[in-house]
Amino acid sequence: MNTIIIDGLSFALPLFIMAIGGIYCERSGITNLAIEGLQGFGAFCGALFAVSIAGSFAGNSPVPFYLAMVFAFLGGMLFSLIHALLCIRFKANQVISGVVINILAMALTEFLTKQINASIFGAASNKFVLGVSARLTVPVISKIPLLGAVFTNLYPFELVIVLIAFLAWFVLYKTRFGLHLRACGDNPHAVDAAGIRVGRVRLIAVMASGALSGLGGICFAYSISANFSSNIYSGYGYLAIAALIFGNWKIMPTLGACLLFGFARSAGYELVKVLGMPSTYQDLVMLLPYVLTLLMLIFFSKKNHAPRALGEIYDKGAR
Amino acid sequence: MSDYIIEMNHITKRFPGIVANDDVSIKVKKGEIYALLGENGAGKSTLMSMLFGMYEPDEGEIIIRGQKVKILSPSHATELNIGMVHQHFKLVSNYTIAENIIMGMEPVKKHLGFIKSVDIKKANQEILELSRKFGLEVDPTKVIEDVNVSIQQRVEILKMLYREAEILIFDEPTAVLTPQEIEFLLEIIKGLRKDGKTIILITHKLEEIKKVADRCAILCRGKLIAVLDVAATDTKTMANMMVGREVSFTVDKKEPKFGREILKVENLTVKNEDKFDLVKDVSFTIHAGEIFVIAGVSGNGQVELADAVAGLLKHSAGRVILNGADISNYTIRRRNLAGISYIPEDRHNVGLVMDFSLSDNLALKNYFEEPFSGKGIVREGEFAAYGERLIREYDIRSSQGNNTIVRSMSGGNQQKAIIAREIELGSDLMIFVQPTRGLDIGAIENIHRQIVAQRDAGKAVLLISLELDEVMNLADTIGVIYNGEIQKIADAKTLTPGQVGEFMMGVGHK
Amino acid sequence: MKKKNGLIQKIILSTIGHEKRQTYMIPVFSILISLIVGAVVIAFLGKNPFLAYYNLLQGSGLAPKASYAGYKGIITDFASFLNALTPMLFAALSVIIALKAGLFNIGVSGQMLAAGFTATILIGYSVLPAAVAKPLVVVIGFVMGALVGALVGYFKHKFNINEVVSTIMLNYIIQYIVSFFINTFYVDPVSRQSKTVGAAGRLTLTDVVIGSYKMDIPLGILLAAAGIVVTAFLLKKTTLGFEIKAVGSSVRAAEYAGIRVGRTRVLAMMLSGGFAGLAGVTYYVGYFASIQPRVLAGTGYDAIAVALLGNSSPVGIVFSSFLITVISKGSTYMSSASGVQPEIASAITGVVLLFSACGAFVKYKVDRWKEER
Repeated sequence: MNTIIIDGLSFALPLFIMAIGGIYCERSGITNLAIEGLQGFGAFCGALFAVSIAGSFAGNSPVPFYLAMVFAFLGGMLFSLIHALLCIRFKANQVISGVVINILAMALTEFLTKQINASIFGAASNKFVLGVSARLTVPVISKIPLLGAVFTNLYPFELVIVLIAFLAWFVLYKTRFGLHLRACGDNPHAVDAAGIRVGRVRLIAVMASGALSGLGGICFAYSISANFSSNIYSGYGYLAIAALIFGNWKIMPTLGACLLFGFARSAGYELVKVLGMPSTYQDLVMLLPYVLTLLMLIFFSKKNHAPRALGEIYDKGAR
Repeated sequence: MSDYIIEMNHITKRFPGIVANDDVSIKVKKGEIYALLGENGAGKSTLMSMLFGMYEPDEGEIIIRGQKVKILSPSHATELNIGMVHQHFKLVSNYTIAENIIMGMEPVKKHLGFIKSVDIKKANQEILELSRKFGLEVDPTKVIEDVNVSIQQRVEILKMLYREAEILIFDEPTAVLTPQEIEFLLEIIKGLRKDGKTIILITHKLEEIKKVADRCAILCRGKLIAVLDVAATDTKTMANMMVGREVSFTVDKKEPKFGREILKVENLTVKNEDKFDLVKDVSFTIHAGEIFVIAGVSGNGQVELADAVAGLLKHSAGRVILNGADISNYTIRRRNLAGISYIPEDRHNVGLVMDFSLSDNLALKNYFEEPFSGKGIVREGEFAAYGERLIREYDIRSSQGNNTIVRSMSGGNQQKAIIAREIELGSDLMIFVQPTRGLDIGAIENIHRQIVAQRDAGKAVLLISLELDEVMNLADTIGVIYNGEIQKIADAKTLTPGQVGEFMMGVGHK
Repeated sequence: MKKKNGLIQKIILSTIGHEKRQTYMIPVFSILISLIVGAVVIAFLGKNPFLAYYNLLQGSGLAPKASYAGYKGIITDFASFLNALTPMLFAALSVIIALKAGLFNIGVSGQMLAAGFTATILIGYSVLPAAVAKPLVVVIGFVMGALVGALVGYFKHKFNINEVVSTIMLNYIIQYIVSFFINTFYVDPVSRQSKTVGAAGRLTLTDVVIGSYKMDIPLGILLAAAGIVVTAFLLKKTTLGFEIKAVGSSVRAAEYAGIRVGRTRVLAMMLSGGFAGLAGVTYYVGYFASIQPRVLAGTGYDAIAVALLGNSSPVGIVFSSFLITVISKGSTYMSSASGVQPEIASAITGVVLLFSACGAFVKYKVDRWKEER
């Protein structure tokens, strides 16, 4: 039971932070199917930085990991500028832009990883090996039955994510910027008339989405996969999108959806282990979150209301 | 220094293909109500959009309080104490009234000395006080999508006052209001003048100008025709100057000859997604040769009623009977074939496929029938011949005839195309929803003549209109709708405009 | 203010200003820019970009290599190129039909896998004679793809599920299910892939001796040619095509015109899935003869680039699929000949995609300039 909670959380939280990025972007009125590409490119930047500096630190030093988080954050933000440019400046179709960015990110990182490994590190490999981040256990509280598992074997990034998530919640719902951002997704003309630059608000929203996706990506790289490679594109970006749709584009309900994904996944693995099934049965566990997503979409898609101006191209001149 | 608060001198603004303002000069005194009169497309809104910083004039200068200024953006206009209520309200539908008003100048409170958050309590209090001061009472905590248009308009006015605007521009403010609400609004405008505000009123309604304005500038096709002292001029003169020729206010119409019953609507109820009644238990009958007008203020369920008759919306109770047959469960296609033509409210998103060619749009409702296609294969030659005939007979103007993409056509010609298509279907029932919205007087007269011609040809006409003039001019029978319910059905001759207005407000309801 | 851009404006206007030329000049521009970007990267890596690009042509059988092994020549390379081109054409048709209906089918790869796997286990491993087996593979491929496509269309219609999300989810679901079955029942212990299908069912004739060459001839290429003609006819000449385009342009207007939007969408997705299925069987039971578990074919994603580049026109994709296939097919040879990583091929394709996504903006901008003049 404890393993289910521990593993479930470490999967759900990176997913959650990516979904929050998606919420920012979509509540500002820009459809974001590019989460996966942003996640991958961000993680690539973080991982590249980590392996470049790994030599200067002791093997178990946590510093490269924290720096990798910073660079993943920045890398995702940088890559999201493409989406911002296409959607805001070029007024391109936002769905197409998102998908194009995903494909481009996958192709670019695959090529660059291999090329950099070959020409700089002199190794024929398609991945950056990162290892798994150290874990910590909060004393005393972790002894509480069941609930204690939440505080056991935590990845440090889980705490960072919780902190950032709270900050993101505060900004979105309590500050002037958050008020402007959410208004952009409903009626950008009203925002414009109030003397606020819609393009600027949306640009920041898209960049926030890129940064948070990159952060989520590096967390996956340091936990589940323990390396960076193109395998990191496992549809997690789309799971994050599904989560925010169930969450009705609101932060707290989205957390619920992410936790559900996380626990379903870890419970599935536990089941395979407990029942002693052969390893090929892992494939059946792997598809659980995706099936769950489809089922939940069937129940929730019709009821939920997307932001009213989502995906619409905003043209100032049009009255 | 002059005693004018606004001077716009020799303003010219061109858009691709048209000159929206051609060397227009106006001067507005502080504390007056200045009306801009003109048809749709005369350039009134464009002129004011430049004053509000939405466009930059190509030529000419703007002087505010004696200072030459370049107004770069709406927020710059706000700094100059200029405010504007747009024709289409610019409100965030899922925000509260207070959030809408404060947006862009939110009061903030600090936590721990440096973390700032929006102080919504303070905002609510300020807005309550402001609204009481100007007699525009609202509940700041209500969400916009839950309040009616007249309250939404109050929010727009409060938005200007909250920003301490001294120059208030109203763009067609009465278009969406009932006669009684219009009275109230005009009183508010007069009250604002008393508080020393300068008001510019854009309108094409002469009575309103007569009631409140001090002076009036008349625009016609982008040019300034005259500036008149309202008290010294009669409405007929103003109307002729506005149109540039003699206008008749009434439509020539013979006595109706009612034939058999074509449409019978019985206890029709339509609900929205949230199971809220949009149309409640509505019943009426339309005969051949009858124009039945549903009068009502925008958003009272009349569009949903038309959609339900045409099959675009499902009804939850009641029956729709056409020529004696119950068509309640028919699909849209079957209803069309059974004899319904429908000119929808939204010609851009519903009435036309904007990226299709004109000929494809003209055949949009019969592309699947002989002679346009057979065995699932379309015959392009038939599309072209049909399109050419309709373009000729209905005088639809476009750059490339049949092959014109309708998106590039003018609003008036788009509407002509829809009406041509629907009339040619030869249906027994013609539904028109706000067919003249946004068109100029010439086009309006033309459409009114076609509606009467359809009636005289023995069709049953269901017309949905928000304009009281249109209702009174065209109707044989009037049904007034309020809040989804029919308030009154009567022979048009037995009702005065005032009575219709009262029913539109739901006042006549017992 | 804009004077300094005058010259560039003039050049661009004179090349792509003409409306009729725009349809192909904008894609050509995207390709040129991408190739230049690619060349700069290759040059930066210390390799000769012209040589590398020439290697791409050599690898695709469009230019002669320096030397060939026995029974091989430029013609065998070209036959192999056609083997790769066939599924690409089908996949692009699949993307186009969905796009015309306003749907974005990025689940082509999953639909390919579902069709390819089903045809493999039902027919590929059977002992049916070729005359029966080959047509059956085609039919099963189409039907299986169409079923998956119809499911996506139904989800969209009935539950309003964004097709991008549902197709991606189905991609993963299909990928894991197929992987489970292959690893449990059909695995070849040496190659770690599914067992090879028999020659009778395979849509590519292998090692056909013509003159002094031995080559693999893809029968599917004829089917693909027919598919292009059928799609062009469907979209231009039929009432169903009219309905699909109407739904794709404006759902509300189509509904108002009496078109059953849900039915049209499901039909369009069925056709789209069907073509993806054909791509699947020509790929897994033609070009290749086995399936690698847990891997989706890149063809489905490349097809999006092909469709966008080809202006979503059935004729346009003939040219664009040719180009994209040259890049992806020739990359292996380029890698061995000039030492550039083969993954640069998909990176260049990605950049092509990026620029073609900007096509609408370029068109808009050029039209504005024209108006200003």
